[in-house]
Amino acid sequence: MAAGMPAQPQQRRIVLPPHRQRAGRPWSVKAREWVRRNLFPSRSGTILTFVALAIIGVLLAGMIWFVFIDADWRVITANRWLLFAGAFPREEAWRLWVSMAFVFTLIGLTYGTWSSLGGKDHFFIAVAGVFVVFLMAHGGAALWSSLWFVVAIGMLYAGYYATVWMPRETSARRTLQVRIVGGLLIAALPIALMLLLAFGGGQMRRLDGFVLNLVLAPVGIAGGLVVAIPLAIGRASSMKAISWTCTTYIEVVRGAPLLGWLFVALFILDDVFPGELIVRAMVVMAVFTGAYMAESIRGALQALPRGQYEAAHSVGLTRLQALRLIILPQALRISIPPIVGQAIAIWKDTTLVTVILPLRELKGNADAAIAQFEFTPFRLEAYVFVALVFWAVAFMMSRISQRLERTLGVGER
Amino acid sequence: MKRLTLLILALFALALAVACEGDDEEGGTVATIQDRGELLCGVKQTQPLFGFKEADGSVVGFDIEFCKAIAAAVLKNANAVEYVDASDASTRFELLADETIDVLIRTTTITASRDRELEVDFAQTTFYTGQGFAVRKDSGYDTTSDMAEATICVQTGTTTEQNVADHFTDIGLTYDPKGGLSADVADAFFSGRCDVLTADASDLASRIAVRPDAADYKILPQIISKEPLAPGVRDNESEWKDVVNWVVHGLIAAEELGITQANVAGMAANPPGTEIARLLGVPFEGGSVSTLGFDSVDAQFIQRAIAAVGNYGEIYARTIGDNIPRACTLNALAIDKSVDCPAGEGGILYALPYR
Repeated sequence: MAAGMPAQPQQRRIVLPPHRQRAGRPWSVKAREWVRRNLFPSRSGTILTFVALAIIGVLLAGMIWFVFIDADWRVITANRWLLFAGAFPREEAWRLWVSMAFVFTLIGLTYGTWSSLGGKDHFFIAVAGVFVVFLMAHGGAALWSSLWFVVAIGMLYAGYYATVWMPRETSARRTLQVRIVGGLLIAALPIALMLLLAFGGGQMRRLDGFVLNLVLAPVGIAGGLVVAIPLAIGRASSMKAISWTCTTYIEVVRGAPLLGWLFVALFILDDVFPGELIVRAMVVMAVFTGAYMAESIRGALQALPRGQYEAAHSVGLTRLQALRLIILPQALRISIPPIVGQAIAIWKDTTLVTVILPLRELKGNADAAIAQFEFTPFRLEAYVFVALVFWAVAFMMSRISQRLERTLGVGER
Repeated sequence: MKRLTLLILALFALALAVACEGDDEEGGTVATIQDRGELLCGVKQTQPLFGFKEADGSVVGFDIEFCKAIAAAVLKNANAVEYVDASDASTRFELLADETIDVLIRTTTITASRDRELEVDFAQTTFYTGQGFAVRKDSGYDTTSDMAEATICVQTGTTTEQNVADHFTDIGLTYDPKGGLSADVADAFFSGRCDVLTADASDLASRIAVRPDAADYKILPQIISKEPLAPGVRDNESEWKDVVNWVVHGLIAAEELGITQANVAGMAANPPGTEIARLLGVPFEGGSVSTLGFDSVDAQFIQRAIAAVGNYGEIYARTIGDNIPRACTLNALAIDKSVDCPAGEGGILYALPYR
């Protein structure tokens, strides 16, 4: 906290809950007071507390029973590779590890540049690390393969502390750092894809399993944003041809479910836009997400006070300058929560490619794993694991978005 | 403004024009596959024993072996296959019609309407089965006549679903159908959410055999339908269909003639008889070799298929083995009466004469 937040440290103090400020008393007194105030404030409150505790207890006991006693997790441990990368050639696994290390480094750099890693973040990273190492070590797999994850986490911290410790007293240095990391972020997707596929790596269709989810979702989200910003501006345009075109696009795309558009990708798009199926799926996801994000951004554009436009005009900015310097930065900031909501939705929608397209992502490969003869009775285990993985990533996205909101000061002007 | 609208319209028209430009190919499907150097085989990836994925991500199973055999025959390389996932029952024929796949080998039942309306052509059946019923041993069900008002789990979008409906209409009983995906309905049955599970008898056998409580379940001897599972190709591609068809026949013939993966090279070098020599495409005692018209794949295409995957019996033993007793699967003709399948009794699988 201390080292990492030179940017806007004073904002943190505003959101601190009041009871945290009462320092100096022994923790036992504080704990007792917390329990009394939050769990047993009144008779009805006490009853509710006990009812809630009973429900939580039953659920927790059931979960613990299932996870540690009833369930047979061999279907997961034996199929780690299938679930993770499926048909991706094993001898080129280094591509996956290098991409992972690259992405993790970038996350570290990003946090170091714009935010900071707090106690909770360290905790979550540790939990993820322990979980992955445990998963790899369990069931007699080579432990060293989990080393890659440890290395990637190491890269995350290396990137983080490199940016945190980097001298940036001068604004020129700060600007340089922001430019470098920002540029890397923008180029992250092409770089990661290149690491996965270029230089004799073969075709897109090798992407399989969880790797496919991890590629599809960011492409859908980034592509969606690229599509959405001009659409949102276009829809608000005073030129009828442009606004009608954009409105038609948005309404048509939003009018049918993603499932339907994937059918289009499979059976219709191949005549107009031949190419690999995964590329077509990416296009459809970007087109689809874009329509929804455009509406989020349009809402933000309309939420901006007219004074902002007028002020930009009065200081002599051109339309484009006003958009780039005044309007969009504010509008995008306001629309972070709905855009992240869309991102989480498209993250989960990546499973649809298995439903419609002949592609197998994580859930599809879980289906394939439980078709292995010895594992056919262990469907629940497979699906619980898949659900956990999806939840973990969605949770991470939501936390990053919260951090982004706090750093950029959404809701505060 | 007008100009912009015109521009957009022009772009739209251009896109349409591009879309309508068909890609007419020279030569047939065999030539297309050989030019591509890869067979696009539509397979299931979620069916125990028949088509599923191994832990290392490779696709394996009974159906997969036939993809390999065809690739060996057409491309001289059993590994030149791209396995396209056709697990979804409802889009499998579109994948074929759309040329996303060259051949569909995915536990697909031959029916007249599929042959005619869906414009699929079927090659020789690779697996004969029939629709059966699984119940808990203590349920008291011995035939479908006992199943009035029973809850029956059945996979949707399949011939199985239609068969059970027809059967209960015929015997004048009503039942409560519960539909879903193949694995889902099996799960529903084993967790007690339905009284009866109906599917191909081979599917039932494989799903029960693997369970620790397998002894609590039984498959009724009653079989209500014929389910010949066969490779499908597009209509009116007769050269390609013939190749697929005769690869399957060749593998069955190899079993009849005692040609195995291990001895095929020796038999090709020194064929013991004219029939074997003809099947393997080698001269017998200085005679000549005929391709029998299979010019695009040359005379030795069946030999390559056998060398790649072995004969039908070897494929069966390697992929299905004892999980589904083989004699029973070949006795699917026994409709609506006890399937009595003594070991070694042949059944209906036999190769047509290759000459």
